[in-house]
Amino acid sequence: MAFQTSPISHVVLVDEEHVGLSNQFFATTAANLAENPHAAILLVDGTNGNQCRLRAVFVRTIFEGPLFSRMSSQLGASSSQVGMTGIMRLRGVDIFRVESVTLTPAPSPTPVTPPQREPLLTATAEMTRRLIAPGSSLDHAIDELLAWMRTSLGCDRAVVFMADHESRILTTAASLGYERSGVGSEIAFGSGIFGGAAATGETVKISDLSRTRRYGEAVRKSTRDENLTRTIAVPMDPDSLSQIAVPMIVHGELQGVLGAESRQRLAFTNVHESALIIAAQHLAALVALSEAQAEAPKTDRQFERPAAEPALPVIEVRHFQFDDSIFIAGDYIIKGIAGRLLNHILRVHLETGRLGFTNRELRLEASLRLPEFKDNLETRLLLLRRRLADKASPIQLVPVGRGEFLLQLKGRPVVVSAEGPRS
Amino acid sequence: MHLDPDIADFIQGEVMIILGTCSRGKLPDIGRGVGCRVLAPGNTVEVLVSAWQWPETVANLRDTGEVAVTFVRVADYRAYQIKGRATLRDCTPQHYSLCNRYIAAATAALVDQGVPTAMTEMWLMPRDLVVAHFGIRSLSIKTPGADAGTLVGERR
Repeated sequence: MAFQTSPISHVVLVDEEHVGLSNQFFATTAANLAENPHAAILLVDGTNGNQCRLRAVFVRTIFEGPLFSRMSSQLGASSSQVGMTGIMRLRGVDIFRVESVTLTPAPSPTPVTPPQREPLLTATAEMTRRLIAPGSSLDHAIDELLAWMRTSLGCDRAVVFMADHESRILTTAASLGYERSGVGSEIAFGSGIFGGAAATGETVKISDLSRTRRYGEAVRKSTRDENLTRTIAVPMDPDSLSQIAVPMIVHGELQGVLGAESRQRLAFTNVHESALIIAAQHLAALVALSEAQAEAPKTDRQFERPAAEPALPVIEVRHFQFDDSIFIAGDYIIKGIAGRLLNHILRVHLETGRLGFTNRELRLEASLRLPEFKDNLETRLLLLRRRLADKASPIQLVPVGRGEFLLQLKGRPVVVSAEGPRS
Repeated sequence: MHLDPDIADFIQGEVMIILGTCSRGKLPDIGRGVGCRVLAPGNTVEVLVSAWQWPETVANLRDTGEVAVTFVRVADYRAYQIKGRATLRDCTPQHYSLCNRYIAAATAALVDQGVPTAMTEMWLMPRDLVVAHFGIRSLSIKTPGADAGTLVGERR
């Protein structure tokens, strides 16, 4: 016979076209499905008794992965409820493509109401799961979060800012949807909607900017050439009509701000706001965690420069001591503590040939004059790394594990130091 | 093959009855039974099915007769499956009274498990009954556990 009736299979929705059936103990199921992949599945609605019959075709059996794990623990829990702990161990999940769904006639038909589906909640749960997946980094988390804002929240323009309490400045770590990413650009606490959220620690939402000042001082100041002003343009859309800024706070401490803009009026609903708060809290916790876990790399790996390659082109690096700004091949990169960091890394490389660095050694380097209490080194390096990547600079910093990174060079850096802005 | 009296009692009790059938084109279907009786001397079974609720199952029984009936006790998941090749018979008054007795017993068993009668009425349907009459070709254990799938007996 090419069919098998099992009274206690669990059925889960895999996607719009597929269901998964728990395969606990029937070795014959595999043989039957190999002979005839067609199946009929009777589903019962536990709320009203409605029954429906699925016609489905066997696709494959999966033995691992997130769906398998979820079903396995679910089966374990329901088995222990009925006193069958250990008996109903999940062997595999049989995936079927559903070809038709037929409602079984009933004496008193109950209207079939589709189950309440909350796609945004599901997508948000998936996003937070990816944020904290094993091997995930803060860089990865920021990218995941922006991707979720685009696909699940429908944000055209979104920004992640990191907060520095010492200087009371927000720095752009990543953005999406803007002509220029603005990574590395800064907004003072209290300035504009994003700075406002940082200063107050409260979510700020503007639903119709047409009646207010469209964009703040920070934007206008930063629209000029960054090579002249040493100021990176903040990613802001002068035509946006709605803005939302959600502070990223953990243990009462601001870690950054999540921002979004739209050219639609009333673009951000309370649902958007709630979803962004969930996302912002997760990212805040990850930033705090990455700072807390930054110490003690596993090994003192030393990446040495390969044999000298004099043929490589020269990368001209200028370091201005008065503001620690760095220009690479004539392009303004960054200033302040991040500029000092990059200058130090390049000088150590030029002196020793070393390419591998640990966050720990930077933290202990007195000449960097890092703040003693809460140096935010992880965040500073993240911002520097992302700014270099954004500028497609011939000098890149590549993380190679927790608390370690590699200097990646497309040429031979030559660092020239100057004292004043005109040198 | 013949059923042990113990198993004959079991499948004629307050168990849920699930029929797997197959069309000529080898498309399987699934439906519920609403009563079962084992005919003397124990090698033939009759299962009652509502043609109103399960028309495809009844059509398959008519067209191919191939059937696998699973009997499962909701209280402890003890389960057996019987396979055979059925022919359809008309329902007699005795079958109707068997069906009524079965529905009363099965409903009580489900209510014991906390299932409301508003739901059991959706599953246990006495309308337009037909009788699937078949000789037992094989019997296997379907109770979850190490013996699940074990063949108890097969007609040679």
